[in-house]
This record gives sequence, C-alpha cells and structure tokens, in this order.
Amino acid sequence: MKKTFIIVLFVALLLPLSVFAQGAKEAAIDETKPVTIQYWTHEDPARTQLETELIAKFMADNPNITVVRSTQASVKQIELVQTAFAANQGPDMFNLPIENQYAYITNGRVAPVDYQAAGYASKQDLLDKYMDGVLDTVTVDGEVYGLPLELTNWCIYLNKKVFRSAGLDPEKDYPKTWEEMADISEKLVIRDGDILIRRGFDFRYPYYLTFFVPMVEQLGGDLLSSDGKKAIIGDEAWLKALTYMQQWGPSGRNLGSPTYKNARNLFNQDNNDIAMAHTGLYQQGRIEKDNPAFFKSGEWMVIPYPTFKDAVRDVAACYYGHFFMVNADSDPAVQKAAWKLAGFLLSHGEEYLTRGGNIIQPTKALFASDTLKNMPYSQVFIDDMARSHMIYYGENSAQIQTQIRNAVESVMLSGVSPEKALATLRASVQEIIDEQ
Amino acid sequence: MQIEKRFTLPKIGMYLVLFVMLVFTLMPILFMISASMMTSRQILKMPYTWIPEGIAWENFAKAIQGNDKTYIFVRNISNSLIVSTSVAISTVLIASLTGYGLAKFRFRGRNTVFMMIMATMMIPFEAIMIPLYMVVMTLRIQNSYIGLILPFLVSAFGVFQMKQFLTTFPTEFLDAARVDGMGEFGIYWRIVLPNCKPVIATLAILSFRSQWDNLLWPLLVSQSDKMKTIPQYISSFALERSTDEGAMMAAALLASIPMFILFMSLTKYFIGGSAIYESRKG
Amino acid sequence: MGTRKYRGIERKQARWGFVFVLPAMLFFSLFSFYPIINAIYTSFFDKRALSKLPPKFLGLGNYIRLFDPSRAASDLSFLNSLKSTMVFTLGTFIPLLIVSLILAVFISNLSSNKTKKFLQISYYCPAILSSVVAATIWMIIFDPRGLGNQWLNALMNTPGVDRRWLVDPVMEQVSTMVIYFWKYIGYFVILFITGLASIPPTIYEASTIDGATKNQVFWRITLPLLKPTVVLVSVMAMLQCLKTFSTQYMLYSNGAPRAPINVITFNIYVTGIQQQYLGRASAMSVVLFLMMLLLTLLQFKTTKSENVEY
Repeated sequence: MKKTFIIVLFVALLLPLSVFAQGAKEAAIDETKPVTIQYWTHEDPARTQLETELIAKFMADNPNITVVRSTQASVKQIELVQTAFAANQGPDMFNLPIENQYAYITNGRVAPVDYQAAGYASKQDLLDKYMDGVLDTVTVDGEVYGLPLELTNWCIYLNKKVFRSAGLDPEKDYPKTWEEMADISEKLVIRDGDILIRRGFDFRYPYYLTFFVPMVEQLGGDLLSSDGKKAIIGDEAWLKALTYMQQWGPSGRNLGSPTYKNARNLFNQDNNDIAMAHTGLYQQGRIEKDNPAFFKSGEWMVIPYPTFKDAVRDVAACYYGHFFMVNADSDPAVQKAAWKLAGFLLSHGEEYLTRGGNIIQPTKALFASDTLKNMPYSQVFIDDMARSHMIYYGENSAQIQTQIRNAVESVMLSGVSPEKALATLRASVQEIIDEQ
Repeated sequence: MQIEKRFTLPKIGMYLVLFVMLVFTLMPILFMISASMMTSRQILKMPYTWIPEGIAWENFAKAIQGNDKTYIFVRNISNSLIVSTSVAISTVLIASLTGYGLAKFRFRGRNTVFMMIMATMMIPFEAIMIPLYMVVMTLRIQNSYIGLILPFLVSAFGVFQMKQFLTTFPTEFLDAARVDGMGEFGIYWRIVLPNCKPVIATLAILSFRSQWDNLLWPLLVSQSDKMKTIPQYISSFALERSTDEGAMMAAALLASIPMFILFMSLTKYFIGGSAIYESRKG
Repeated sequence: MGTRKYRGIERKQARWGFVFVLPAMLFFSLFSFYPIINAIYTSFFDKRALSKLPPKFLGLGNYIRLFDPSRAASDLSFLNSLKSTMVFTLGTFIPLLIVSLILAVFISNLSSNKTKKFLQISYYCPAILSSVVAATIWMIIFDPRGLGNQWLNALMNTPGVDRRWLVDPVMEQVSTMVIYFWKYIGYFVILFITGLASIPPTIYEASTIDGATKNQVFWRITLPLLKPTVVLVSVMAMLQCLKTFSTQYMLYSNGAPRAPINVITFNIYVTGIQQQYLGRASAMSVVLFLMMLLLTLLQFKTTKSENVEY
C-alpha cells in the first residue's frame, strides 16, 4: 500500500513537471517578421473610441504590426496586470496609475523607453517636449521608463442649482476652507431620519493618497520623513485630519460616508442628490455624454481644492499619472513595436484632450495650446496642479493606501478613536517602509 | 379518538413561519424584477413603491449595451453557457468513468487513488488559483474557452457520487455482458451509463450551476472582453454603474434567465436530486 | 478449475480499472496536486508577485507571522481573519441548520403535495442566482435608502434609523450572513426533507400504537434517526461557509470596510493578488486547506461511528 502510494504520488508529480520542461523564450531578433502587441488598458468609452481609430490607422501604416487592445475596469486592471506579470506572462504594453506602476520599474519588469522608436531624436528631445519634472517619477538611474498617457488632478465640481435651492449663491458662497465645506454641506444635506437623501460634498473614497494626504500636509504633517525612512510625521496634523473625517461621517455630523454611492457618478445625473464632487477635467466629457442637457445648461462650475483655515501649507489634492510602459520580457521586436505605438498614440495629445476622455498629456505643447485654455474651467485645474505634487508612488504605495483607508474608515465607521487608528497606521506603514 | 382541529394554535404558528420564510426568500427576487423596470429615482424613493410607474425599457437597453455600448453582454452570456455546458458534460463523462473504475474494479492502489481524489475536495480554490494560473499561462490557454473549462473538467464530488451510486449496481449484469463478449468500454457505455440517468442528471445540473456562478477563475483568465463570463460582466457593470440601480437590476435579471429556465424545466432534478443520493446511502 | 485463468481475468480487470481512472488522475495531478504542492512550497518563501529575484527562504517565517499574537491588534491580521471566518461560519451555519430543520419538519407535516412542492421551489430560488447577482441585489436592499432599513424600521417602529448595514462592523458581518443564509436555506431544507422522508412511516405508526406523544416522537425518534443527515448537512454547511468569497468581495469593492468581513479566503485574495505577498497568501491557503481537511475527516469519523440502528 505504501509503495503504491509513493508510486502514484511520484507519477502525479512527474507529469506536470514534464509539461514545464520547455526551455526559456528564444532571444532571436527579427525585425521584419510580423509582431503582435498585447496592449492592456483601463475602461473609458471615449478613449476606447479614439484609440480604436488611432490603432486602425497605425496598423494600416505598419502592416507587419498587429495590436490587440484589451480593457478592464480600472481596479481589475491593476490586479490583472500584476497577476499576469507574476506568471511571467504580462502584456507587452500597458498603463496603470503611477502609484501602482512604480513597482514594475524597481523590479526590473519594464524596459527603458526606446527613444527613436517612439519618435524622438534622443532622450534630451523627449525631456524637452514634456513639462519639467513630469518624467522624474519614471526616471531611475537616468533612464526613462514610461511615457505619460495622462496627468490628472481633481478639483471640486459644483452644482449651481442645488446651491441655489438651499438659498446659497454658488458664485460667492462656495467653500474655500474645509471648515466651510462642512458647514455648507450641513446646509445642503437633506435627511430622512439618519439617512442622507442629498449630500453637499462627499470625498473621492477610497483614493486616500490623492485627497487625504494633502489634507494632512496642509496641517503640517507628512506621510513619510524626508529621507523616506520614518512613517507618519506630525501626529497633531494626522489626528486633526482623522478627527475631521470622523466628524464628517455617520458617527459625527453625518454628512457622507464611503458606503453611499460615489459622488462623481451621481453628479452627472443632476438628480438633486449631491451638490459637489471631487473629480478631474475628464468628468466634463462624462457629463456631456451622460447628461448633455445638464452639460450645456452651464449649471455647474469648478472650484479649487479647499484648505484648512489655519493651514501651514497650501497644498491641493495630489495629481497622479498614467504611463505607457513596455514589458521588459517581451520579444525585443515586440518591444520596439510597442514603443512605436506608444509614441504614435501620444502624438495626438489634442485629440485625447477633446474627444479621448478629456485627459491631459503633460506636454509643453498641450499646456500652451488654446485647446486646453478653451476647455471650461481648465484654469482652475492648471492652478491647482501648480500648488500640488505627484501622488506618493513608492513601491508599496498601494499597500500604504490600503492602510490609510483602514485608518480613516475605522475612525469614520467603526468607532475607533483617532489616536488608536493613528498608532495602528504608523505601525503598519512603518513595517511596509522597512520591508522595501 | 382525538379529532384534529383544523386551525389549532400550533398549526397557525407553523403556517406563519412558513409564510414569513416565503416572503423572506422571494422578496429580493421580486425586488429585482420590479426594480429592473424602474428608474433610479423611483427605486430610491422612500418608501419603496413596488409597482413601477411605467416600464423603464432603457434599463434593459443599457444592461445589454454594456459599459461601452458594444453589446458584449450577448457574447458573455453565450460564453457562460458554452463553458457551463462543456463542464457539465465532461464532468459527467469523466466522473462516471472514474467512479465506475473505482466501484467495480479491483486494482492495486485503488483505495489510495480514491482517497487522493477525495482530498482534492478540500483544496480551497484561492489556495491554488495562482499556481493554477501559471499552469494555464504556460500551456498558453489563457483567455480561451479551453482555459476556462480545463481546470474544472471533473469534480471530485462527482466522482464520489458516481462511486457511491455504482457500488450498489448489480455486478451480475456486467459479468453477463462480459460473458457475451462485450468489451469493457462497451459495457461502460451501453450498460452502466444508461442506468445512471438520475445521478447523471443531478451531477450535470450541479456542475452547470457551480460553473455558471464561477467568478474568481474567469476574473484571472479571461482578459479580453470577448472571453468574459456573465458574473464578470455583472460585477464590472455594477461597479461602473453603481448609481444606476435600475440598469443594474435589469442586468441581474437578464443574467439570471438561463438558470431560471433550466430550473423551471428540470425542477425535479434540482429538488429531488439529493434524494437519489440519500436513498442510496448505506 | 483454471486458477491461471482466474488470475488472468483479475489482472485484465485491474488493468481496465486503472485505465478508467487514469484520465481523472492525470487531471487531478495537473490541476489539483501540482498547484497545492506549489502553494505549500511557496509558503516557505517570501515570494512577491512582481519581483524577479529569487525569493528569500523563510522556513516557517510566514506561518509564524500569521499566528503572531502581537499582530492581533491590527484589524487586517490573519488572527482577525480567523475570527471573522469563525463568526461568519458559526453565525451562518447554525441558523441554517436549525431553521432548515424546522422548515423541513413543517413542510413534511403539510397535507397538500402541491403546497409542499411550491414551498420547496420558492425556498430554493435564491440558490439558482449567481452569487454576484445575489450580492448586487442585497447591496441595493442594504443601501441606506433601501428596503432593508425600511422593513426593519417598520417592524421595530423606528422610522428613519439607518441600520448601517454595510458600514457598522457588526452589521456588515450580519449583512453577509443574511445574504448567505438567504442563498442556501432552500438547499438545506430539501436535504432535510429527503432525510425525513427516508424514515419509514412504520416507525411512526409503531410509536403511536405505543402511546407516544408528538413531542416524544420528535425528540426521541425523529431526531436521532435524522442524525446522519444532520451531520451531513452541518459539515456541508460549514465547509460551504468557509469557502465564502464573492459576497465579501462585492461588498468591499463597493466601499464597505474590509476588517469585519476579512474572512480567510478574502484575505488570501487581497494579500496575494492586490498586495503581491504571494508567500504569505500561500501560507494562509495552506492553513485553510488544513482546516477544511480536519473538518471533513471529522465528518467521516462521526458518520462511521454513529449509526443509529432501528
């Protein structure tokens, strides 16, 4: 019996191992052979339409290149790309938010930009064409590892009708500080018992690195020390920010909560259930598509990101970026073709702005263009971008965001005291930093 | 002799409990149906007005159009149908073959094999999903029907059911057939299989149902929209349209129709299914 | 007598038996054994999803970390996952067991076959919906403005109170239990009905002749004879509860806090797929596997020893 068992186990194990006996990928380079680029990106109907057109044109111009474009919901995209790479079968070209992408650079998973293939004369040419500092986040050891698809920041959209219905004048009474934000929201909410039927403002849960960390920074705190070794600096600032969120939530003034429908989706519908939402320039395209009457009516406006009354720093919400990156393990011919595709797509900056999802490519050309200046409220976005900084994009930023999410939500929803939540947050973030 | 009164207190209590349970189980389903015909505004009006004010056909239109108006819903539902049916068929075939081999044949290591197969029932899917994903990637069958079907080709539970059932199958018939000169495979195909109909039907339905419900595996393996299954569709639809409850319910309703049709036409196999297993126990 | 012939046939039979089970064995080795062994192997290393470097060998390091009591303070620790899983499992399967038994008894006592069938079908309906659909429906019901609040408030005469189904840690766990209970109640009712039906009516007749009251019949005869079914149902229900995933996943994706519903399966998914700690996730998977193995072995032991004879 025992002998049979061992034999059976042996066979059971040998079999699959023999399946994997195939060798490593061949490294031969043949530039004339047909190549296929697997391009994975996140869902966005407008951008999908634009890119499908552009890709068709690209394939017509490059008959030996086939592009297969796959989309996922943004959260799924992050997980799927990761899982694919973990199995050494990642896509050839992809984009992710930078805070999820940086780890790919540090782990050697993505290749440096092939400047010529992407259409630039040299590395310096590339650096010159983009706004200063934008490429720093993807530059490691002097090499650039990604090309920016978009640089996005969020400001506050405001529904004028809702303001007026509460007796407020949107042009004059809009909130400029967080204290005002809470008070004005209080005037705007409609409740049935405890249940919120209409909210004033509500946050862009769960993107805490984008909206919550700046709030802490305004009060003088920091996520990390300047040498990046210590976590959670400035207890007083953190506690004040956490207390603000606690007061915002169901156990405080009950002005909003992560479990209600997210504000930016509701905003488009103009259903009198939300007055303000925290979202980006691209939202305009969505409003126009979902509710053209609302869009054209001009009953909405954009205001800058509030600061605390006694803020020590003027920091707006962080901006984040998506970069096109190319898999370092892909066949070299495919890599070259992928950079060619990336360069081609990105050369259509103005189209991405107007009809490709209203995304801003941080090229000097676009920022100087009239197209950008003519987009409604673009100046608010540009000004806010000037007073903010890139989101924290270190290797484990996603985990850190999870910890911050846990801290804020435990304070808002689970009745944990800000002190305890802060202690837990510090311990867990410190651990993540130490492991890096 | 005691005359049973019709409406004694305990009897009323019993009917009450059954009724409350009935309301509890059916209410969400009725909600889904009624909400699918309402606009978001109507649904969230408090208190809930069960009767829709006119049918909001746009909900269904949105549900089928999908997040980017590509009508991928149709493709996704057919994917689910193809995958679930294939798994049901393959499970039945392989489980019956294996169960037959285990029940009616004596060979060295038979018990070991049986126990090892049973042990696989305890392996939680999350434990093996990443190595499994790597297997599929190495075989280059990701993002294809094969990749979706292959890891579920046979279920250990099915093998167990078939073995239990076939152990009590009269061996005389098999021996008679052998004496008549029938090949072993012929015996399996022509004598054993046709006599397992009830178990096979139940097994097929259970496999179909559990594959239909599978979210995690297609999430990993189906990368392009064309290969996604219906649970994926609903989950991404719900995420994108979290504020459009009417459309969400319409999508949920449409996605449930195939299973519902199956259930209504083959009710006895769903409900009476476990009876077959139970009565053959011990 | 042909002893030789006898042995020949035996060997031929053995060969055929082996051939018949071969496809399944091949399948299981590739798709079950290899992955779980790979997972066990990975659990001894600090493997990260994106890293190309060879992972650091940790020995039992991952396991020690999982059970480290000093980490219990953190809400997202594995020890808390164990707790959440236990709470969820007990809180779901015990009501499932009791209520389904009660309903089965009631249904069996009904006279009309049509009503019996109707009730069984209705109770089973939730089971045919996919878990994603079920979660979607209940999320709307549990929305602050949804039916959950309305009905509970109407019942308890507390208008306007938000029960915070998806927000409050306790209520969140309750919500997942409600959804799961709702989905599987019909399935277990039917199992019990079948079990009850397999008790021959002659026993009941004999007991009435002996003068037993209805109460005595139930507690002294029905229940003991039902023991195998009860054990079967309870273990099946427990295993099913340990495998829960979609419900927690859907709730978290829609903004609910993670800590109260951070059951083991969900923790494995987040740790492995979102946080990229594959080694740690594998260790959790092995622990879950062992838990389920233990439970099932317990089932086999109890069904073998407790055979109530009549």
